[in-house]
Amino acid sequence: MSSARTLGLLLAPITLALSLACNIAAGAEPAAGATDAPTAAPAAPEPASDAGSAPAATPSAANGAPGTSTRALDEQIQDLKKSVVDLNKDLFVLEEELLFPANTQVALFVSMDVGEFFGLDAVTVKIDNREVSNYLYTPREVSALVKGGVQRLYVGNLKAGSHELVALFTGKGPNDRDYKRGASIKFEKGVGAKYLELKISDRVRSQQPEFEIKDWE
Amino acid sequence: MIRRIGRLCAGALLWALVTPVNAGATAVGDMAPDFTLPAAAGGNVRLSEHRGEVVLLTFWSSHCSVCVAQMAALGNLQNTYRSAGLVTLAVSVDDDMKSATQFAKSHPARFPLLLDPLKAVGRAYSIELIPTTVLIDRRGRVRFLLADYRGTDNSYVAQVRALLDDPL
Repeated sequence: MSSARTLGLLLAPITLALSLACNIAAGAEPAAGATDAPTAAPAAPEPASDAGSAPAATPSAANGAPGTSTRALDEQIQDLKKSVVDLNKDLFVLEEELLFPANTQVALFVSMDVGEFFGLDAVTVKIDNREVSNYLYTPREVSALVKGGVQRLYVGNLKAGSHELVALFTGKGPNDRDYKRGASIKFEKGVGAKYLELKISDRVRSQQPEFEIKDWE
Repeated sequence: MIRRIGRLCAGALLWALVTPVNAGATAVGDMAPDFTLPAAAGGNVRLSEHRGEVVLLTFWSSHCSVCVAQMAALGNLQNTYRSAGLVTLAVSVDDDMKSATQFAKSHPARFPLLLDPLKAVGRAYSIELIPTTVLIDRRGRVRFLLADYRGTDNSYVAQVRALLDDPL
């Protein structure tokens, strides 16, 4: 199950609850405006002490203090939003743990250092001669990488043993020429998660970009 | 945590029961499938980077005679509404990328002409006619599909204006 789908599934009932709460709020305000004279609004007979259950408080508050009931409702909505974010975080972690257990997990990261001699356009990654990722970079993403961002390009599963990774970098090289370079690494996958970094840096002495694959133990 | 998962499963079941089986075709109201494609003029373009803007997506081919007139009209539209947040993207459905690139060179447009050698985007949007125009709102939802194009048909201009007026 993709994270988007998972999130969709999670959000469906909560969105329903949120929209219900919003409808109640929207319904309460015109009623309050219609019944109260402008001068009567500040004289709220009921304080917002029972802000625990908004739907119950709303009809009575509609005649009295629309401001306080709206505030209580707003707090409830904020609480609901917070729970959604928390749940999403938990689900994301759970999904990662289920789909990519630590004993088989392989993750690839891309980083760029300077990037003066190379304008990144695409990266193609093959593991054991099987293409696992072909990623096209937009100027905004390249800019983020140049500023020091690190992108998780791929996460997948591999069994323990020796494997070979080949990365093909495409882009514009020195003097704005089309540039294609490859880098490969043979690595040993053990029982723990394996992290590899595809690192693009500038070699100032030769005025050329340098492509390196780093194995994070 | 277990209770949360339980609640999630119940929600998932509810969702599965009320959601009809999706035939795979993108329809009005669906989230627009994301894509990243190379532009004929260089660089890559990702649809999701334009979230918050109104995207007019059109599918063209070098063999399509109407496309030239449509692109000119879309160029004018793009010029008029660019500052209001309109982004126009044109995706090629050509089999031969050479002719698509040649077409892009001979018909310079005011918006990116994207190349789709695998036709994955055309399939994702279930394109059957050329040119087809898709309007995507600021939230990334497909709001209007116009298959075929006639010079006199300006119905999508009103749609563009309506979407631009709709804040995020």
